[in-house]
Amino acid sequence: MSPGSQLLHALEHGGIAAAMRDSMWLYPVVETVHIVGFTILVGAVILFDLRVLGLSKRVPVRMLAGHLLPWGTAALLLIVPAGLLMFSSDAANLVGNRAFVLKMLLLMLAGTNAAAFHMGSFRSAEKWDQGVAAPLSARLHAAVSLLLWLGIVTCGRMIAYA
Amino acid sequence: MRKLLALSGFVTFLVAVPAIAHHGWSSYDNDKPITLTGTVVEASYTYPHGTIKLDASGKTWVAVLAPPSRMSARGLSSTDLKTGVQATVEGYPSRDDPTEMRAERITIGGKTTELR
Repeated sequence: MSPGSQLLHALEHGGIAAAMRDSMWLYPVVETVHIVGFTILVGAVILFDLRVLGLSKRVPVRMLAGHLLPWGTAALLLIVPAGLLMFSSDAANLVGNRAFVLKMLLLMLAGTNAAAFHMGSFRSAEKWDQGVAAPLSARLHAAVSLLLWLGIVTCGRMIAYA
Repeated sequence: MRKLLALSGFVTFLVAVPAIAHHGWSSYDNDKPITLTGTVVEASYTYPHGTIKLDASGKTWVAVLAPPSRMSARGLSSTDLKTGVQATVEGYPSRDDPTEMRAERITIGGKTTELR
């Protein structure tokens, strides 16, 4: 067994993973926590992206970012542990699930895209804070972000059917 | 106009992605329903979905069932689903794995439980 598959095997045969599989209510509860978390994160991301794309230009971009993005980050505290719990219950199977693999890939791209936006276009946000169009580079980041997050949600839903 | 274009792109994406991603569900062949009757040699009543291994006419099949909460709500308890019992599953064979099928319904002891 490769170290990777040993790790997956250990994860899947741990007590927490077993509890996830055997308890009547644990899996659905954890699923719900994951969903509540990502509605906050994805909701925040989509609303911010739409603002950068030019909707509701009367709302200052930096103020909106200051409000929405911390909520999105905080939501990761619900999303990530819940996601890891679900992953552990079926780890060996999931790494071969195309929807899951694609979702992880899109998540990495979305993270990279967000980081590039914050280190790049967003630095000049005071110049396009309110009432004017964001620069093309910022709008491209926002459009890519929207598409990636829709893809992530779709892939997440498709894991059960892949 | 630009917003309209963006919106139409958005909607196209919403429709197109599930169409591509949906490929996975078709890994079970809806055109070839099969019915297997045999002895349960292994049963798991677990999330995300229960499974049984079924010895049917000289071949051991893995039948993918439903989440325990659904099976329980429909009257198929974990005590019904145990090794040694005779079971009949109706469902669709996997396109990838010749020993796997997704069960639409299961009959144990004369009682049929719908799984979808």
